[in-house]
Amino acid sequence: MLLRASGEREGRDYDERSVTDPTIDPGVADGAGLRALTDAAIRGEWLELADLRSRSARTLGAQQTVDALVVASAFNGITRVADATGIPLDENTLTTTTAMRERTGIQRFDYLEKSARYDSGI
Amino acid sequence: MYSDQPLLPDALKQAHAAAWQTIARPGDHFTGAERVAFLQAARDSMDCDLCLERKTSLSPTAVAGEHTHDTALSSTVVDVIHRLRSDPGRLTRRWFDSVIRHISPAAYVEIVSVVCSGVIIDTLHNALGNGIPALPPSQSGTPSPRPNPNTVDGGAWVPMLAAERDMADTGLPRVPNIARSLGLVPAALDLFFATFRPHYALRDLPLSITQSQAEFVAARVSALNECFY
Repeated sequence: MLLRASGEREGRDYDERSVTDPTIDPGVADGAGLRALTDAAIRGEWLELADLRSRSARTLGAQQTVDALVVASAFNGITRVADATGIPLDENTLTTTTAMRERTGIQRFDYLEKSARYDSGI
Repeated sequence: MYSDQPLLPDALKQAHAAAWQTIARPGDHFTGAERVAFLQAARDSMDCDLCLERKTSLSPTAVAGEHTHDTALSSTVVDVIHRLRSDPGRLTRRWFDSVIRHISPAAYVEIVSVVCSGVIIDTLHNALGNGIPALPPSQSGTPSPRPNPNTVDGGAWVPMLAAERDMADTGLPRVPNIARSLGLVPAALDLFFATFRPHYALRDLPLSITQSQAEFVAARVSALNECFY
């Protein structure tokens, strides 16, 4: 997760748990608005997203709203490439994010753990 | 595409238009008509009863049946596309192994590239309130395999692009695993990343939001899609 690395470059400490826990403020500017936009775009909640876009254009800005959706749509594709090819974490990421993966709950997305949960019946 | 979206970068609009044309042409293993049918099948998955039922079950393997689709694609290819579009977070190695008993890993990589490029384009259209774009008219011609001999077993389900493992100052290798993932089929790698590249950068993001805001959005999408990488 590059949120931490980005925070280190900026001298800020963003809370990575906010990625999986909606009750936690990530600390980035207009984090709640970005989360709402992202969730609606990825879940396909188009009517709600239309309202969110209007609201976000007034708070975050029209250009920033579009750009947030540009990033969200890209990652809706690239996460599927990763999941479909079973690529391992890069070595440095694997060794430096162990605690973060446990803290945020994303360790449960590990391929072996998914196999244990979902493979019965194949 | 995006004629009424002045806030989108021109490079992105051009990349998406080019991707649509590339998909419509014959690939390594599939005709242009088949590749366009991949896009249609991905869209069909959103209303597929089997996919909807699987999505709400504890395990996708707990529900059997036939996918709803209106294409001439094989049942294996349709299953790959529907699973990839509707439930990517629950793909597993055993499922992948069952798929490549029917299609080659290279054919699989080509499908993944086309479908995931289409996901980016459809998601952005929908997210901006444009509705999904018309599918491109397919171009005639026969597939011509151009396998990449420069691949290695990098621990993924498919052979990965061979690349130096030297590190960049981002904390990632200069060529991270995601950029190697589709390397078995160079045209597949090119298609996907040509579509993706105008959307994001690890450094010097060419957008109006900050790098941290972009990383939060990216990480949130990964969590929603249950992506480990």
